[in-house]
Amino acid sequence: MNLPTASEQTPVIQLDGVTVEYQAAQERIPSFKEYAIRWLKREIRYQRFTALRDITLQVYPGEILGIIGPNGAGKSTLLKVVARVLHPTRGRVRIAGRVFPLLELGAGFDPELTGRENVYLNSAILGFPRRDVEKRFDHIVEFAGLQEFIDAPVRTYSTGMGARLGFSVATDVQPEILIVDEILGVGDANFQKKSFERIQQFQADGSTILLVTHSLQKVREMCTRVIWLEQGNLVMEGDAEQVVGQYLERNKKREESRLQKKRVVQKKKEAPKRWGNRKVEIIDVRIENGHDEEQHVFQTGDELRLRIRYHAHEPVDDAVFGMAIHNHKGIHITGPNTQVAGLDLPVLRGQGEVLFKVPALPLLDGLYHISVAIVDEQDTDTYDYHNRLYDFRIDNVDSSSIEKYGLVTLGGQWELLG
Amino acid sequence: MHNRMATVYYDSDSIRSPEIQELRELWRYRDLLQLLVSNSIKTRYKRSALGVLWTLLNPLLTTIVLTVALSQLFRFRIENYPVYLLSGLIAWNFFSQTVTQVMSTLIWGSRLMKRIYVPRTVFPISVVGNGLVNLTLALIPLLVIMLFVHQPLRWTLLLLPLAMLVLSMFTTGVSLLLATVAVYFVDLVEMVKILLMAWFYLTPIIYPLEAVPPRFAWFIKLNPMSYFIEVFRGLIYDGCIPSASHLAPALVLSIIILLAGWVIFTRKANEFAYRI
Repeated sequence: MNLPTASEQTPVIQLDGVTVEYQAAQERIPSFKEYAIRWLKREIRYQRFTALRDITLQVYPGEILGIIGPNGAGKSTLLKVVARVLHPTRGRVRIAGRVFPLLELGAGFDPELTGRENVYLNSAILGFPRRDVEKRFDHIVEFAGLQEFIDAPVRTYSTGMGARLGFSVATDVQPEILIVDEILGVGDANFQKKSFERIQQFQADGSTILLVTHSLQKVREMCTRVIWLEQGNLVMEGDAEQVVGQYLERNKKREESRLQKKRVVQKKKEAPKRWGNRKVEIIDVRIENGHDEEQHVFQTGDELRLRIRYHAHEPVDDAVFGMAIHNHKGIHITGPNTQVAGLDLPVLRGQGEVLFKVPALPLLDGLYHISVAIVDEQDTDTYDYHNRLYDFRIDNVDSSSIEKYGLVTLGGQWELLG
Repeated sequence: MHNRMATVYYDSDSIRSPEIQELRELWRYRDLLQLLVSNSIKTRYKRSALGVLWTLLNPLLTTIVLTVALSQLFRFRIENYPVYLLSGLIAWNFFSQTVTQVMSTLIWGSRLMKRIYVPRTVFPISVVGNGLVNLTLALIPLLVIMLFVHQPLRWTLLLLPLAMLVLSMFTTGVSLLLATVAVYFVDLVEMVKILLMAWFYLTPIIYPLEAVPPRFAWFIKLNPMSYFIEVFRGLIYDGCIPSASHLAPALVLSIIILLAGWVIFTRKANEFAYRI
């Protein structure tokens, strides 16, 4: 992509050392009476919460700037500062253009009024002169595809219809600066496609777009530049691929170390989650990827291996190794064992290893718990049972090409037969 | 350094006098103001089956009830008491309904104010506008009653718009002041409702000024609403132009309160989004 460099252009959005601090009473004191009493007793304590810390940022015409970060990182606060909703506590905000936020359903609509009346209301909220809207009215309604329903009250609209109308009103005129906050996922596929195209056209024509979405895939596809916020700080800024990549890497590491820590902690206090006579003891369990490396975060379709180290304190000739996977809601997903699989184990003496290989995980996004057990062939004696002691997570980066609903993908294929 | 920017529409540092800035913005958003007023009237009349008729019947019924009850209760005799009562009551209703509604509307408007910039005064001012429409509509049953009881219609009725203007200045000022505080303390809304009820009885609306014992007269003089009631009553009931001693305090006070309300509200407005 050939973007003009910073020196060639003047920014449309310029933030200089912007800090936003919420000063909230530690407890909410909603009543005047309470406030008066506490004020007299000098009992009001304030707590400062910094939503944005010293952010300096320039955005240029024709950019689609993605803002990523975990919940509470300050993404929405940044949008509010740009949209003039929040005045910064410190620092300076300058905007060279009119800012149009895409409003979610409800914010700019009066449900009792008809679609027609709401088009005018919404436009007025965005600051469009009424005369312009009269001229553009048919075009707005047509894009939203609501010609038949335009004189029905908005309370009879579905969420998708409302969102379509909102989008159509806000984007009928090319905006100088458009703020898109988690809103593009609405409407049917056809409308989504239409709205994407419209946004891309705006960008091509020189609009500046700020995009906040949880879909990192969309950020990668659409954004020309990405900033990563974390607890109000600007952590990283740069090319979409690079920032998203780093962000994912960090998330993965963080989750990995959390699950590992959990594993250590759980081993220490494993008593209630573990039972059995320990004639054969499970001494170590490792979750690994296809290259024998320990790993706890996978994607659907990845290879997973479970390495179980045992110690037979006396010779045992009827041992059966088994494992089970539960999801975080406690649903038992699978429970294979060596007996069912027809693997007849010899007499176990001393230490050894058993490996269970899953060539391609069919599980969808979520946290899963693994149990490991050694029992006898009649299932009357339990040698050692580790109940849901080992966790792994499925976290699909590119969630668009993977099924979303249910627990697993069956890898099935669709065919049109005429 | 990128300190030079094309045309700066908004600069968080440059708002030195928010009072003036707000006026400019309000003018820019006048279409929104007009829509908010017309929509709230529309939705109200859409919902009730009797529609406009109901809002006309309501003051008629209230007046009948109050007239029957109060004329028995009070010893003083006032000719055409219904007209006497209603001429003050419409002014009071405008004031008290607007003040309470502005406080709750600002909290209602918060949903919008958290997401998009609109001049913050747009909500309070639209409520005042709405109140003015209702006040004008309330004149219809009043005129009906006047004709019915053979109260002469005087030319001074034509001066009512001026009285309404002064009253709405005062009302706007009080509303803005109270709404600013209500953003911080939600229970103020309930407190004000109770205070307004007391205030109603301490204002000569259902009784004449002359019925107040002389030792309490000073108190009535301190009550700004009694001046407005006298002005409305003068124009509608007595058919006389209010004397300077009634008009001057009302006018001066209205200007002071309006300016104070406007300045305080607009200066605090940047904090609203943080609070609500």
